[in-house]
Amino acid sequence: MSETSVAVPESTPTATQTYILFGVAGTTYAIKSQQVLHIEMIEHVTPVPNAPAFVEGVVFSRGQVVPVINLRARFGFERGAITLRSRLLVVQHETRRVGLLADESREFIRISDTAIRPPQEAIGGLSGNYLEGVASLGARIVLVLNVRELVETVPTALS
Amino acid sequence: MSTSGQDRPFADGFMDDYFAEADEHMVAVRRSLLALEGALGSTLPSSALEDLFRSFHSLKGISAMVELHEAERLAHHMESCLRAVRQGRLTLTSASFEVLVDAVRLLEHVIATRRASIPPPSIDAMVEQLETLGRSGDEQSHAAVASQVQTATPPAPTAHRRRWRVTFVPSPYLVERGIKIDSVRARLMQIGNVQSVIPKVLPGGGISFEFDLQTNDEAQLARWHDDGLTYEPLEGLGPASAAVDEADTAAIQERPLTDLTLAGASNVVRVDLARLDDLMRLVGDMVVTRSRLEDTLRRVEAHVPFQDWRSLQDHNARLERNLRDLREAVMRVRLVPVGEIFRRMPFVVRDLARDNGKRVRLELTGQSTEIDKFLVERMMDPVLHLVRNAISHGIEAPEARIAAGKPAEGTIRLSATTAGETVILELGDDGSGIDVASVMQRAKSLGLVTPEEGIDSRVLLDIICASGFSTRDEADRASGRGVGMAVVRDTVEGLGGILTVESRPGHGTTFRMTLPLTLAITDAIIAHIGDQIFAVPQSAVREVVEVDASLLHAFENNELMPYRGGTLPMVRLSDMFSMPSAARARHHAIVVGTGPAALGLIVDRIAGQREVVVKTITDPLIRVDGVSGATELGDGRVVLILDIGALSRTRRQHARVIAGVSA
Repeated sequence: MSETSVAVPESTPTATQTYILFGVAGTTYAIKSQQVLHIEMIEHVTPVPNAPAFVEGVVFSRGQVVPVINLRARFGFERGAITLRSRLLVVQHETRRVGLLADESREFIRISDTAIRPPQEAIGGLSGNYLEGVASLGARIVLVLNVRELVETVPTALS
Repeated sequence: MSTSGQDRPFADGFMDDYFAEADEHMVAVRRSLLALEGALGSTLPSSALEDLFRSFHSLKGISAMVELHEAERLAHHMESCLRAVRQGRLTLTSASFEVLVDAVRLLEHVIATRRASIPPPSIDAMVEQLETLGRSGDEQSHAAVASQVQTATPPAPTAHRRRWRVTFVPSPYLVERGIKIDSVRARLMQIGNVQSVIPKVLPGGGISFEFDLQTNDEAQLARWHDDGLTYEPLEGLGPASAAVDEADTAAIQERPLTDLTLAGASNVVRVDLARLDDLMRLVGDMVVTRSRLEDTLRRVEAHVPFQDWRSLQDHNARLERNLRDLREAVMRVRLVPVGEIFRRMPFVVRDLARDNGKRVRLELTGQSTEIDKFLVERMMDPVLHLVRNAISHGIEAPEARIAAGKPAEGTIRLSATTAGETVILELGDDGSGIDVASVMQRAKSLGLVTPEEGIDSRVLLDIICASGFSTRDEADRASGRGVGMAVVRDTVEGLGGILTVESRPGHGTTFRMTLPLTLAITDAIIAHIGDQIFAVPQSAVREVVEVDASLLHAFENNELMPYRGGTLPMVRLSDMFSMPSAARARHHAIVVGTGPAALGLIVDRIAGQREVVVKTITDPLIRVDGVSGATELGDGRVVLILDIGALSRTRRQHARVIAGVSA
């Protein structure tokens, strides 16, 4: 995964970037692949008492203790059971490593910068707070997430 | 300490540490200033104010230690201004904020000049500005501030000392008598300031050391003549370092040193702490792998012929022993004598005693006790703070001591001992003890305790460690800003240690810091609560007991259990962690703490004890009260390690809140 993203030149004239696509509660989201360290299957998450509600718990990822954010809970949906399709996207934000629990994640695509538009004011819902933009890929709509907003300690909707 | 090219006072041996630490604080200062600037004219963020206050406090302390008095004074005055702001006596306008920013710039400049070994800029104008600022907040506090400035002026220079060139020629004969370069240096330091030490190669291949010494004790130098020391006055010569002959020093390095003792060198390798961490992590990984191996072995037992099984078991047992040995060996590499903390203290005590008009003797014991290098670095500030407290709050003035029937000279004892897997640092004084009445009065006025509440040593510690608490009405140079004790406790507990205090009125106060010997691997009790597993560091556990639910007495908001002829307050961890827990007739409880601080933590059951590899938890999302780290038991799942100190404290605060509500 990282090999592919390394091969993408940083600033080509027709700038495209690679993204990881993943699904949460029936919607497709995207995160820049350079922010994703790796993607893992997930079995067991250890709950952490008194942690924020959207924190599923902790796992070891490559020997490091990594908090797991349940994206369903983060976006205000019902929590779902962890299945064989569930994936943990371990992202790097500044010095932190945080796991994002998604329902599934299988795709790795290039999106041209011009295909991404700023989110409309009208997009409501909790995930609206974490959007960087909206990409139209033919008939598909993909919501591009802002990792920084996602991993901040206090949910913006509650502050 | 290096044996060449030193042309600065002894304290300068610490300067690298100082610069590194000062840089860290300056980064924090700039961050806090930015946060405050954005909020000028509205409500100031109290956390930024608090951080800034702490940073100045620390800068003051470390600057005093290296005798950089300009930095110390600046930090002190900025601290005073902030105190006025914190107490609402001074409002930060953009004008007064500018003064602070300028003062910070000057402080940076002062530190930079010391780094470049050039004379510091004048700070008098800035100090005056800061004083005016503090005064505009409160006329009354001004007098006190001004009087402190007097005490904060640099100490009188070491006047009547003369400079000597002392030459030491080591020989096997002297080595037999225990006289080596190190002991000679120590001797010289006792009678004066060693400005530099220069090794010289003598014609014929021998070696000698030339000390540039400032002392007024010529008689003592003469007495050491038989120990291979010769001396001559050095007045009128240039700086000693200028005399270093480049060729000579180079020759020393190239010369094969057949006798290391004689050359004053040692066969010591300096290793970056990060490399040792890597090594320790690898050992940790091996410990985990071995426990997986053991699990697998157990599963295949039925399928393996008995003879093979036995030999597998043997190998496994040997591997475990080897790993334990390896772990201890690596750990021992990380251990350094705790004396690294102690050796700065005599200077600090001397200066502070003089400033406070007190007579203090410092007793150090257990300096060779070894402790993890990481812990040494972290414990420096807390110990320093406790020493300052002991001098300014603990030890009485000579007249008061005589009146109380005690020797005029107070004693501060700093000791280190090992006990099992822990190191105990103790700092005791024979002063007046903590004035419980005035502590309580102050705590009540700050709303820290309810008027009806009684006091014991834990409550006392909670109060004096509360941020913003100080019984001194005016801050002094040494302590009393009410931020230090909070830092002390945070540091000790952050390292997995325990801080306790014992104080007897009229007899003195003793602080005890119990610290784990090393951080990476520890023995832990494995406890089940519901379907979750937790690890409790063995060092915090007194014993494990079985609890019969029918013997628990609900008492107002507490549960008590008969225990050793008395009662033991009990806490259900499942309640504290809001976790489901099946009702059962029998539980296990982990008893932690001693005396009045004893507490029973009820869990569903204890599954045993084992060695665990401690991984730190750093991410703010999962840094919660009561959890100090994480580990795994071989199946890849995270097991949380409980922070017993924090749990006991939470429980006490909780109990107090409830008492306050019902009162």
